[in-house]
Amino acid sequence: MQRQTKLNSEEQAQAQQQTGAQQTQQPAVREFATPEEMLRHDALHTPVPPTVAHRLRESIAKEPPHAPSWWRRLLGGSKP
Amino acid sequence: MNTIVSEPAAERGSYRAPHTPGRGHRGEATAAPTSPESPASSLHALGESEFADLYSEHSRAIYYLALRFLGDPQKAEDATHDVFLKAFRKMDQFRGESSWRTWLYRIAINHCRNLQQAWTDRHLITNADDAVWETTAAQTDSPLRVLENKELGHRIQTALDGLPAEYRLLLLLVADEQLSYEQVGVLTEQSPDAVRGKLHRARKAFTVLFEQTA
Repeated sequence: MQRQTKLNSEEQAQAQQQTGAQQTQQPAVREFATPEEMLRHDALHTPVPPTVAHRLRESIAKEPPHAPSWWRRLLGGSKP
Repeated sequence: MNTIVSEPAAERGSYRAPHTPGRGHRGEATAAPTSPESPASSLHALGESEFADLYSEHSRAIYYLALRFLGDPQKAEDATHDVFLKAFRKMDQFRGESSWRTWLYRIAINHCRNLQQAWTDRHLITNADDAVWETTAAQTDSPLRVLENKELGHRIQTALDGLPAEYRLLLLLVADEQLSYEQVGVLTEQSPDAVRGKLHRARKAFTVLFEQTA
């Protein structure tokens, strides 16, 4: 009788493990009320490739120094 | 109300959109702190701290708009680079009449439209009109489901690609919580009421198309 009980408990444990594995395999469901909400979610998980900043840095390094705009010159923001 | 259902994703980035209750009261987000390792810090090295802050705060929004509007990661990368380079060149022309975000969006929209126009000139593209969405027998009132989270971006892109460019742009801009309907209207050259009206149709069209991608 004890043997039978042990087998039953082992079977139950095995069944619980299988159920647990099945539960972890099931994708959780997420709801979006509107397409915009879905897009926001997507945007949050879409990082900018780091190469953009690196390329930008190189491009900016090649840019000529910023010339003061006409109104800054007019207001005496820079020496002639 | 339509409900779009998807599997939650693991955080792939640290960016969090600022939550601002209600549309029309959306302020500018606080600039994200720039870590020494972050890409934006390489711009700080140039001594252009203001520009680096600008990049740090808005590059994700601009990149996402370009990515989903153009539908090509490489083109989106190029466009983001070009938009910020243009912004860098024109920074002293910014007069504060709009937010930085709106100003950058305007540059991005013009840039993306030019790219798209150049492409469309070479390839005849026709978008279905509203009648298609109105007559499509899709269950738009039932939840839409994503089986694999990694497919979400692909499905969104497929749905957006099927939309008229105007609807695509409208949805992408309205999705940005920092923009009010009025600002979206300015960017798309229409009244806030027109934005609301078209948004309703754009949502429906997107939902129909998204459902078809399952």
